Amino acid sequence: MIRFALPKGRNLDVALAAFRAAGISLDGLDAGGRSLRMRLPEEGIEVLSLKDWDLPLYVSHGVADCGIVGSDVLEEVDGDLLVPVRLLAGRSRLSLIGRSPVLPAAGTQVRLATKYPNTARRVVAGRSWGAEILKLSGSIELAPVLRLAEVALDIVQTGRTLAENGLVEVETVAEVAPCLVVNRASYQRHRALLNGWIGRLETAGVVS
Amino acid sequence: MRVSAALPTGVAALLFESARRRREAEERLAGHLQIAGFAEVILPILDYLEPYESLLTPAARGELYRFVDRDGELLALRADFTPMLARLLAPRLESLAMPLRLFYRGDVIRYQEERAGQAREFYQLGAELLGLAGEAAEREVLRLFLELATLIGGGALQVVLGFAGALDRLLLAAETDDPFRLAAAVARRERGEVRRAGATLLAVVEDGLPARPEDLGPQEAPRLESLLALRDELAAAFPGVLLTVDLAEFARNGLDPRLTAGEGERPYYDGLIFHAYAGPAAVPVGGGGRYDRLFRALGAEVPAVGFSLSLERLLEAGVPP
Repeated sequence: MIRFALPKGRNLDVALAAFRAAGISLDGLDAGGRSLRMRLPEEGIEVLSLKDWDLPLYVSHGVADCGIVGSDVLEEVDGDLLVPVRLLAGRSRLSLIGRSPVLPAAGTQVRLATKYPNTARRVVAGRSWGAEILKLSGSIELAPVLRLAEVALDIVQTGRTLAENGLVEVETVAEVAPCLVVNRASYQRHRALLNGWIGRLETAGVVS
Repeated sequence: MRVSAALPTGVAALLFESARRRREAEERLAGHLQIAGFAEVILPILDYLEPYESLLTPAARGELYRFVDRDGELLALRADFTPMLARLLAPRLESLAMPLRLFYRGDVIRYQEERAGQAREFYQLGAELLGLAGEAAEREVLRLFLELATLIGGGALQVVLGFAGALDRLLLAAETDDPFRLAAAVARRERGEVRRAGATLLAVVEDGLPARPEDLGPQEAPRLESLLALRDELAAAFPGVLLTVDLAEFARNGLDPRLTAGEGERPYYDGLIFHAYAGPAAVPVGGGGRYDRLFRALGAEVPAVGFSLSLERLLEAGVPP
């Protein structure tokens, strides 16, 4: 039995579609239900339903053997996980956003609002401008709109929310993709099964 | 007034039954080591920082608790036994009869991110075999590690074996301007990135091994073959342990200077390396390997192999018999 952690948010449908395309059946899964643990005995899988931000911890502690999580979260909380493949669907960008299309001027100190303070520190390191990082939990776009911060670092998918709020994408920092992550020790134990999954995902053309 | 029983992040008190279990496990392991001919050394919890400065990777430096003593000396809490033992022994090696078999036990203190949920103080027991070159020493140390870990750890022990520098030739031959980044991608099994570097590295990422040992290179192939033979020998002797050879696991343990500027791994291993996991959640419980170059960096030429075991994690992973 392998324990597979699936995210609750926007990456759940993407993950289910990719696995369905690869012929790995998670059909018994009640995606809309409230159950946090579901067994698919025929496939030898137990599925855990977890929040994105908790998922890497469950996998790095070996409570879950593997899971699907966004690279944005992974970069922020990296727990030395294996990342064999990234899903092609559900991709977005991690970008610096602001009210004007230019980066802060050299020598200035700004406030930067984000859900990703560790990533933000790495992004700001080595720039000609400095930033005080404000860690927020959500609605990051509001911070530059209401002038709590000059810039924000956040996920951009279509850019529609930005446009509706009079914001612009100033710089793309990274491409974000839902990733298959695997615990190091679990990979040794479940290598054949996981390599089988990965091979089928690759054949189905749903991962890179 | 009510006094809080809270402790700082990452440390724990062992009270009553947990203290008894820890001491009992410790005594069993120490007794086993003494019977195997290993003599105990007791090392201080505090040391100068300066002797270790050149040996620290950025990651290891970040884990150190260091401070200025009242007399102005820069000190660090013990974060690793092996370099401390090596620095104390290096100047007096010539006066010591070899081979030397030593063991130690005690706490190491390492800063870990609070979010990681990891202890910052953990109790280690370890052994070092000095002055014996070649595979005989590696076999003896690995066998001893397995004896100790199975004595305490209960079931589901997994040990992953490899050797430093196994992939250096492939990493440096790949068409990339950043072989260190490629090594990190191999260690994380990122197939998209590794596929561009060739079929042999991709096979190592998938299976832990190249299709044929000679794919590694003329010097590395015999080393891999003898490691596979050692794995088979020990797997027969320890049937309850899952022993695998996986070179991708140690891709960042290079020997070539172009690959060793990295962070993450302790930099001193230069031969056999192994990691162990135990229990259903596969908790990391220890590891070890050959570290001749640590002594060389301290000005002494002596072959050295050793390991450490985290006692709390072993006890957490399995109920002792």
